Amino acid sequence: MKIVSLDPRVNRSSINETEESVVLKKLDQFQTYEVFAQTKRGVHHVHVGSVHAANKKIAVLFAKEQYARRGKCVNIWVVKTSDIATTEYEDSDIFDTLDEKTHRNPESYKVLNRIKEYKERTSK
Amino acid sequence: MELTERHVEGLKHLLYKMADDLLIIGHRNSEWTGMGPILEEDIAFSSMAQDKIGQSLAIYNILHEMGEQEPDTVAFTRNASSFHCSQLVEQPIGEYDFSLVRHFLYDYADAIRFDMLSNSIFEPLAMVCKKFRGELKYHTMHANIWIKDLAEGNEESKTRIQNALNKAYPMALSLFEPSEFDKELSEAEIFSGEAKCRTIWEKEVGTVILEAGLEIPQVSDPEEYYGGRSGKHTEHLQPLLDEMTEVFQIDPTADW
Amino acid sequence: MYGNAYIDPKKANSSLVDGENPEKLAEFEARIARGEKIEPKDWMPAMYRKQLVRMIEQHAHSEIIGSLPEGTWITRAPGFRRKLALMAKVQDEVGHAQLLYNAAETLGKSREDMINDLISGKSKYSNVFNYPAKTWADSAVIAWLIDAGAIVNQLANSRGSYGPYCRALERICAEESFHLKYGHDNVVFLATGTSKQREMVQDALTRWWPPIMHFFGPSDKDSVHSETLMRWKVKMASNDDMRQQFLNMYVPKIWDLGLTLPDANLKKNEETGKWDYTEPDWEEFKRVINGGGPCNAERLAVRRTAEENGQWVRKALLKESETYVTPLS
Repeated sequence: MKIVSLDPRVNRSSINETEESVVLKKLDQFQTYEVFAQTKRGVHHVHVGSVHAANKKIAVLFAKEQYARRGKCVNIWVVKTSDIATTEYEDSDIFDTLDEKTHRNPESYKVLNRIKEYKERTSK
Repeated sequence: MELTERHVEGLKHLLYKMADDLLIIGHRNSEWTGMGPILEEDIAFSSMAQDKIGQSLAIYNILHEMGEQEPDTVAFTRNASSFHCSQLVEQPIGEYDFSLVRHFLYDYADAIRFDMLSNSIFEPLAMVCKKFRGELKYHTMHANIWIKDLAEGNEESKTRIQNALNKAYPMALSLFEPSEFDKELSEAEIFSGEAKCRTIWEKEVGTVILEAGLEIPQVSDPEEYYGGRSGKHTEHLQPLLDEMTEVFQIDPTADW
Repeated sequence: MYGNAYIDPKKANSSLVDGENPEKLAEFEARIARGEKIEPKDWMPAMYRKQLVRMIEQHAHSEIIGSLPEGTWITRAPGFRRKLALMAKVQDEVGHAQLLYNAAETLGKSREDMINDLISGKSKYSNVFNYPAKTWADSAVIAWLIDAGAIVNQLANSRGSYGPYCRALERICAEESFHLKYGHDNVVFLATGTSKQREMVQDALTRWWPPIMHFFGPSDKDSVHSETLMRWKVKMASNDDMRQQFLNMYVPKIWDLGLTLPDANLKKNEETGKWDYTEPDWEEFKRVINGGGPCNAERLAVRRTAEENGQWVRKALLKESETYVTPLS
């Protein structure tokens, strides 16, 4: 039985109500690409999400409309998800910075006192 | 230079055919929203349809400034014989192959026309054409990639695209139906004319078609689909307009 | 746009955490209690994953199916302003589906599997989309009030614990606020317009009120799972609380336009501060959810056809050598 719809588009498509359902196979929706967008020149590209696409050119086409159809954007990168290496959250302790790593921080270099003391000592 | 009455008449004719083309193809392509072949493409195709309607509105606005009626009135109250769109754009959406190929053929024509008109001495039109340059660039980029990828996809997709091309290409020639104003508009540096548009278009779409490994269709009668510019349309346009204006016509004087 | 995921109370297990490693579970729950988000590769209880997949997937289905009732009017929107706005709105719903399917994929279910479950009728989506949009005014009422309901639900869920879902919802909520404004504008134009327009919008409102009252789902305060799901920040507010919030925000706005709602008992109880209303027909709700609504068959058939018609396009571009991995976040 044909679907009779309030939507004229549906009526034009002449759709059968009880047809056998199609089954999408693996990769039917393709692989994914991660999308990075830059809102203006001079700032970093930021990860904004992902798209399913057959190749990187199409991924760019898709990313532009899905992630930059509103608001500002001047540039987009796409990277195939499977090409990205990441750290694991369970290893996030590798990012812990210990308190004794003071030699990396500017505030651990305080020489004014030493200069002052030197000046006092040598001016006598 | 001063625009003569004849120039104004020619300009209006030009603007009407451009705006009507844009409105009708935008309307047709919007039918795919929510029905596209994959979610991401659904979104992209819908954006381009919106762009087309937006472009048509900008041109109806120029016409309004030239003394024609409000864009809503112009778009939602005329019947088919007062529309100047080409017979290409009023065709039903068909399957995705036809819609894609029509988008390819139409958007190249549009981009070429807009590019030429960016240098028109008719300032309001030149400004509008410059403004939409970015949108058109995306549209042709989208068309290029899809046509090539599907032509190089598999046997089925190649055949489908070639068949759609064979069907749509002769229709697309009606976009360049010569007008009685072409010569004067060209001399006045308002618009370089349909023949010139067509020459550039044939070269550009021809390049893409050949690069994609497809064949440029042979057209026996280039004028087969002419007539749209003077209100002669296929049986598809009036039902489209009836549908498009169904709600508006409940009360054309109401604010919707 | 979306209502709450419907969890059948009869299918309740005795516990959601049977067999889970107590140490890991404690760590997981402590992270959530601290207000930290859970990310895709984190350890999570099996039931947390399962509930989230179901919820996000249903939400995604609701977006893609939800594009159909309003899509009914996409070729007939009156005037440029409405035509462009409706196109953009329906497009946004498709965009939301894309974002939400991605979020659900990070939990391990592929988009193919989700679409298959949708078109075979195995998965559910929000019940309201099984009702028809009979006139242009229905599309206005949907855009205003269904999206308003969706915002109440989605704002609550955006404070949930699963990172990818929260991020998707943040973007979605921003776009829904355009939908809400558009819908309100549209309803106001009809309600303040000609008598014909006013009649159209009143009729649409009367038609849509029962599905709107169904939108947040039946009372779930006695549900055995609610406590755990709320502790895990999967469920952020009870269905009744969200319904109250919605009524409180929108009934006054509806009445303000001089429109009426088909429930004589609907009023704010000054003592409790809550809204009294006639209990919606939950038998009808269940009947529609299980396929008995006026548009269930059409919605699925249209979606199935869209997938079918697009198959040759996707097949042509598919490369068997590609590998699918779940999106990162």
